Amino acid sequence: MLELRSHLHQTPVRKTLWWGLMNITSSDVILLAHSTFGVLGTMAAIWVFVEALNASETNAGRIRGAAWIAAVCMIATWIFGGYWYVHFYPADRAMILKGPWPFAHTLFMETKEHLFFIPLILSFYLPIAAGDKLSENANTRKMVMCVAMLIVLSGLAIEGAGAIINHGAKVALLHGIAGSGR
Amino acid sequence: MNIENGRLSRASAGFALAAAITILFSTALACVKDAYKPLNTFMNSVAWHNWITQGIVDVILFVALGMMFSKSGLAERIAPRRLISFLVTAVIVAGVGLFVWYAWF
Repeated sequence: MLELRSHLHQTPVRKTLWWGLMNITSSDVILLAHSTFGVLGTMAAIWVFVEALNASETNAGRIRGAAWIAAVCMIATWIFGGYWYVHFYPADRAMILKGPWPFAHTLFMETKEHLFFIPLILSFYLPIAAGDKLSENANTRKMVMCVAMLIVLSGLAIEGAGAIINHGAKVALLHGIAGSGR
Repeated sequence: MNIENGRLSRASAGFALAAAITILFSTALACVKDAYKPLNTFMNSVAWHNWITQGIVDVILFVALGMMFSKSGLAERIAPRRLISFLVTAVIVAGVGLFVWYAWF
């Protein structure tokens, strides 16, 4: 446990930010921003799917707008997640690998970090597909609905993997505290 | 008017094919760099971290292939249903493939 604590303290950029009574580190802000934008991007894709179900001349603008929101949110997730992964995750990874749930990194984090490129590429494509006239072409509508649903499903899978990784870090800490008390 | 067998636009068809190919390429690259460490080391040296390099390569490939397919009209000639099936299959193969790869190796 002492080894883990010293590893965490060696991480150079975990600056503490005081917002009122809260003690939040820059690592926490970046981590939460990455998952929040991921959820917002997934929700925007759901919005595109629902609007495309009832595509008409009147909601064409909303479909395009929601598709762009999904793309922008996924880019923000990529930037925040990438920064956190490169700068802060190595300390958490060391902790997870020494804990009782090493598969939280070896299986779920490894899969998650590469699976993310699927919704990222699809969200880049979504505004292009949504640029066509969905109300006049059934195949264009099907394409937009399929892409939106693929973003939603892969986004949910990634959020689930994130929860497992988070729990892997938590049980590693709990295991370390319990172990140091013996 | 709702055309049941309408074609996708050049850009939509081109970038759909590009997305499917890029997703499959990204999965293959993830597996290869995991199995072949010199590639991983090389990708670390290109843009700080292999994951960042992979993301940049994926985006460049998607844009380049999309523009190429859009201009050539190649993807536009493919039936929309086939294009949709190919994209969905690519995503399923890539997703399941990544999970199986990291579960077994």
